[in-house]
Amino acid sequence: MQPDSAVLLAVLAIPFVGAALVPLVHRVLGERTAYYAATIAALCSGLLISQYERWGTVTVEWIPALDVSLVLYLDGLAFLIGLLASGIGVLVFIYSGGYMHGEPGQAKYYTTLLVFMGSMLGVALVVDLLSLFVFWELTSVASFLLIGHYQRADRSLYASRKAMFITVSGGLFMLIGFLLLGHISSFVLDGSTFTLIGTEQSLIGIPGEVTHAEAIRHELVERGLFVPVIGLIAIGAATKSAQIPFHIWLPDAMEAPTPVSAFLHSATMVKAGVYLIGRFRPLFVPEHVFAAEVWTWLFVGLGLATMTIAAMLAVSATDIKELLAYSTASHLGLIVAGFGFAETVGAETGAFHILNHAAFKATLFLVAGIIAHEAGTRSIDALGGLRHDMPIVAAITAVASLSMAGIPPFNGFYSKELLFDAAWETAHHFGGLTWLLPVVAVFGSIFTFLYSIRFLWLFFGDRPTELGEIHRPPLAMLLPAGVLAIIVLVLSLGAAPIAHDFVNPIVKSSLIATPEGYHFSVHLPHALKPPVLMSVVTIAGGIAMYPFYDRLHHGIRRLRSIALLSPNQYYDRGITGIAHVSDVVPRYVQTDLMRTYAAVVMSAVSVFALGGYLLGGTGTDLTEAVSGVNLALPITIILAVAVVGALAVDRAPSHIAGVLTLSILGFTVAVFYVLASAPDLALTQLVIETLVLVLFLLVLDRLPAFYGELRRGRAILDGLIASGVGLTVTITVLVTTAADPSDGIAHFFVEKAPVPAEHGTLITDAGGGNNIVNVILVDFRALDTMGEISVVAMAALAILTLIGMRNRGERA
Amino acid sequence: MSAIVAAPLLVALGGAIGCLLMRSRPRLLRGVSLLGGVGYLLATVALARAVFADSDAILVYYLSGWQAPYGITLVADRLSVIFIGLTAIVSLAALWVSVRTIDASGQRISYHALYQFMVVGITGSFLTADIFNLFVWFEVMLMASYVLVVFHSGPEQTRAGMQYVVLNLLGSAVMLLAIGGLYATTGTLNMADLARRLAEPAAYGIAPGPVLGLTGLLLCVFALKAGLVPFQFWVPGAYQAAPPPVTAMLAGVVKKVGVYAIIRLYFSVFAVATIPDSGGLSVVAGEPFLVVFGGVILVMALLSILLGGIGATGRNNLDELLAYSSISQVGFIVLPLAVAATTLPGDSLFRAGVLATIVYAIIHGFAKGVLFLVSGAIEDHVGTLEFSQLGGISEQAPVLSGAFFVGGLTLIGIPPLFGFFGKLLVFKVGVEAQNTIGWIAVGATLIGAILTITYVTRAWERAFWGPPNEFVEELTVSPSVVAVIAGLAIIIIALGIGFQPVYELANGATSAVIDTDAYVRAVLGPESAHAIGGGLR
Repeated sequence: MQPDSAVLLAVLAIPFVGAALVPLVHRVLGERTAYYAATIAALCSGLLISQYERWGTVTVEWIPALDVSLVLYLDGLAFLIGLLASGIGVLVFIYSGGYMHGEPGQAKYYTTLLVFMGSMLGVALVVDLLSLFVFWELTSVASFLLIGHYQRADRSLYASRKAMFITVSGGLFMLIGFLLLGHISSFVLDGSTFTLIGTEQSLIGIPGEVTHAEAIRHELVERGLFVPVIGLIAIGAATKSAQIPFHIWLPDAMEAPTPVSAFLHSATMVKAGVYLIGRFRPLFVPEHVFAAEVWTWLFVGLGLATMTIAAMLAVSATDIKELLAYSTASHLGLIVAGFGFAETVGAETGAFHILNHAAFKATLFLVAGIIAHEAGTRSIDALGGLRHDMPIVAAITAVASLSMAGIPPFNGFYSKELLFDAAWETAHHFGGLTWLLPVVAVFGSIFTFLYSIRFLWLFFGDRPTELGEIHRPPLAMLLPAGVLAIIVLVLSLGAAPIAHDFVNPIVKSSLIATPEGYHFSVHLPHALKPPVLMSVVTIAGGIAMYPFYDRLHHGIRRLRSIALLSPNQYYDRGITGIAHVSDVVPRYVQTDLMRTYAAVVMSAVSVFALGGYLLGGTGTDLTEAVSGVNLALPITIILAVAVVGALAVDRAPSHIAGVLTLSILGFTVAVFYVLASAPDLALTQLVIETLVLVLFLLVLDRLPAFYGELRRGRAILDGLIASGVGLTVTITVLVTTAADPSDGIAHFFVEKAPVPAEHGTLITDAGGGNNIVNVILVDFRALDTMGEISVVAMAALAILTLIGMRNRGERA
Repeated sequence: MSAIVAAPLLVALGGAIGCLLMRSRPRLLRGVSLLGGVGYLLATVALARAVFADSDAILVYYLSGWQAPYGITLVADRLSVIFIGLTAIVSLAALWVSVRTIDASGQRISYHALYQFMVVGITGSFLTADIFNLFVWFEVMLMASYVLVVFHSGPEQTRAGMQYVVLNLLGSAVMLLAIGGLYATTGTLNMADLARRLAEPAAYGIAPGPVLGLTGLLLCVFALKAGLVPFQFWVPGAYQAAPPPVTAMLAGVVKKVGVYAIIRLYFSVFAVATIPDSGGLSVVAGEPFLVVFGGVILVMALLSILLGGIGATGRNNLDELLAYSSISQVGFIVLPLAVAATTLPGDSLFRAGVLATIVYAIIHGFAKGVLFLVSGAIEDHVGTLEFSQLGGISEQAPVLSGAFFVGGLTLIGIPPLFGFFGKLLVFKVGVEAQNTIGWIAVGATLIGAILTITYVTRAWERAFWGPPNEFVEELTVSPSVVAVIAGLAIIIIALGIGFQPVYELANGATSAVIDTDAYVRAVLGPESAHAIGGGLR
């Protein structure tokens, strides 16, 4: 049965409409806006649940010109992510009602959080890659605003900028990957598409009916784009899902209010990356293979490395939220690795762990918020024995952290078993170095066990004496955590039926085809198979190492303080480095020195023009032009005088001498005009020269007499540039004056203008004048003349302004 | 012949003259100026309706009734109308902010007349089909902007104004040389006539070689106007010196005149020309002019993106940061042209490239309009734009800050804002080119976009977040100014979500660029265009 398009669109639209209304609602409800937002989230999850198992596609046209539509596709995976976004949304909003009590900027907080929820629903439901990208980036922007919620604190600013920088940059890489896929699709399908799945003309096709995956892969390989596309998408996913080395933004993101951390930075937004990997899995992982080309090794490597390293970093954490942040990165690594494995069990790992992790990690974040709120500290060393003050919270924590540790019969155990299974099977098949995979998986899991127990120990052990009075958490905060813990319990105790019914379609979303008679199932182990042994090793190893937790903690801290190994150092140095490089620009480029500017600009002008002449092969035109030059003796003499005048200007010892020699140049030009039969130009030139001379003389005594020594090197350089400009102009004049195009507009005037008796009366009749120059100026090109008149008018205004505003300027 | 073509030009000119006449009546002066702005918008709407009434109309107006190419011709097609539309909206918004923020004596002395004259120059440049007339409109626009840049006449303004004037006077001299040269070598000034002649140079006795050099010379002028590296020197100084609404116009619209001229002349008129086979030394003999244009534009675009982007990241003054950003963004604007130039106008990649440039130019007009108006509003009230003196503005002026945020995100290219589609189209052109220049364009856009994230987040966190100081705490911006700025921000959001019609407009404009043949026929008459590929395009 197809999903109801109106309902799906409503799920997407309601959060945004709700967000737009927050400023109004907040005026009426104040802090109770939390419950308004929770209602909206509940409405969305209700609507979404009403569409359960109505898998299918809804298409709304958006930008047909770019082949972009809003394609909503509901299947198991989309439903899961959508349900997490809206369902955990409900709990987080209720929790916020308690947590944000008395905090500033609540209207902004709830608006952004609702926008985030809508965007996350968009990421879950939309499968048109460009439309998906819209929501993808909006989640990053919402995350930026929420991490920077405490906008007066430097740490918030640092953290939010870092998150934005990493996630949005990563998104751009991903966008290029999407565009490449869209481009490739046009060679495989009827026209290009950005729809990933769910329609006949989509990249993957409709599961069980049409598949284009293999053809697309083939085309990508043919064009050498296979590795680039996977790599670009991987960068997008890895930055969003905090995979190594991009994980560094996540611990800093803990500057956000804790409900935000629980919602965005553990349960939903960071899941976007792994979701995308799961979504793309059918495109790149064919049926019946033990390893998909590039895909498997890239994602298994990335995932297991992140899982292990982030788990170790979690052990080194000193702050409970920091611990949870690293733990989140680690578990996301587990999911990435799961989706990386090509066998069905890989998809099972990824799908099931998305659900399990969201449940136990959101619980733990809410617990962390309660601890910070009620105990007033987040320092691991300063906390302990909290079970006395908060027995219910202790029980909640026990359920969630045992699940996180992967201890049976809790739900976290099942998905970890699946990972072990996948790693073992792959190693078994390929042998050799691949045996490292199960080893690393176990190694990383030991650390997971360690920090999970450490977190749980906040509630047991001794209560530090310096820990002050601890309040009971308000119901609004306790209730959501309790509900989540119950969900963890349900998932744990009902693992088998839930896997069979609810998770089965989620797994299928990441498979290109379902094997005959396949059905996802989990159960507690009843035989000692390799994965079970691996779990035994993990737990035994964890218990054995726990007494040395402090030593491990300090050891890893020492390791991470090595600058060379720390991606944070690279980020910080990069950001400060770019600022340093940036200072070079004003220092060496925008020097504020007119001479530099003019020199560069005029050099470029010469290069552009001379380059054009050279590339255009103007050599022959030039030689013809030069041979065509025929100067009479008087003109030659006058031009020689002009050259001497020009040289004299450069050598002039004083301003007066300079101005006078400059006017020699000007007057020789006037004489040149006379000799070239242009008396009107000569007249104009004489007037201008005289005026310039007078003006110069008026201001000369205001100028400084001495500007400084001119360095020889500089003089030579300037001389070369000036020669280049001279050469440019000379060549331009030579080749252009030598040109003789036929039938130009000049011919028209030459033909029509002379004596009317012979040439017709067009000019006199229509132009109303007997002098062709005048007719051209005031009739043919009247608009030019008008424009120039307005320039003159503005010149007058300029003087008026400079005089009128001068006093004001000096005052200011 | 359609007289409506001249309407926006006449309205602006009328506004300018009206402002000159009303100098002694301050209230009336403002009224006339605003009336001019509104009238300009209405005239633009009327012109747009006339152009879009027919799916590919090219409206022509022969001044004084002199047939092209002998007189001056004005042409309104889908390309010019888009740019005039941008001008109408941004200039009206900036005008309103001017009325509210420029001090009364300044408004009375000359501000409004100059502002209107600037709009006259811009409009003339978009409408004219005559390269010498283009020079005249450039002069009108520049003369007005010279005075507006030094308007406050303080030491900073005088210094920046001096640099601006000197560089642009050099530019004017070069432009005159190039246009004179083009006239001498081709025998015409009319753009359509130029295209006709360059497509068949032998028939008109034209040597294409010198023409290539002259186009190189002329390109310097447009690059100077657009602020592309290595002609960018005037940008940071002038943008900081000018009154904020003028900066919004300079960055938002005046720069686009350079971009428009590059599109119109280099990708339509000169695009038909070929380098002669007898090129001798030339490595590009027999290739279209476009090959050379593409190479030059590519280098300028890459340098602009990097220099502007890197320059912006470390700046400690909001306006200075935005000015550097503007250098970088113009690099993005012209980058797709370099990719387009690897093919011929008939190719779909050529279309995609030109289209991306047009869309990006419009985006940048709105984005920089918003950003500079916000920075201007802050400067007016806080008295400085140094980051060390700013902070926490979002607490004090949430709507104004929201507008800045939208403007900043659109520069980065965050969807679904308008700016996203600029980045998207540039990436798309690069990806679809599947050649080296395409990959270079993709790489440069990526690096440039990451730099944009760096400086936009920095500007936001230094000025709008953080603890507010006592000056910021007293920040109160006039509601009508905030409303105008917010209106522009809403346009940015709306044009993103409703991108389809924008795409269609830009696509129409691109068709107008590609179909040089139709342009020639419209201007010179139906029989004139036989030379250009016989109506191939």
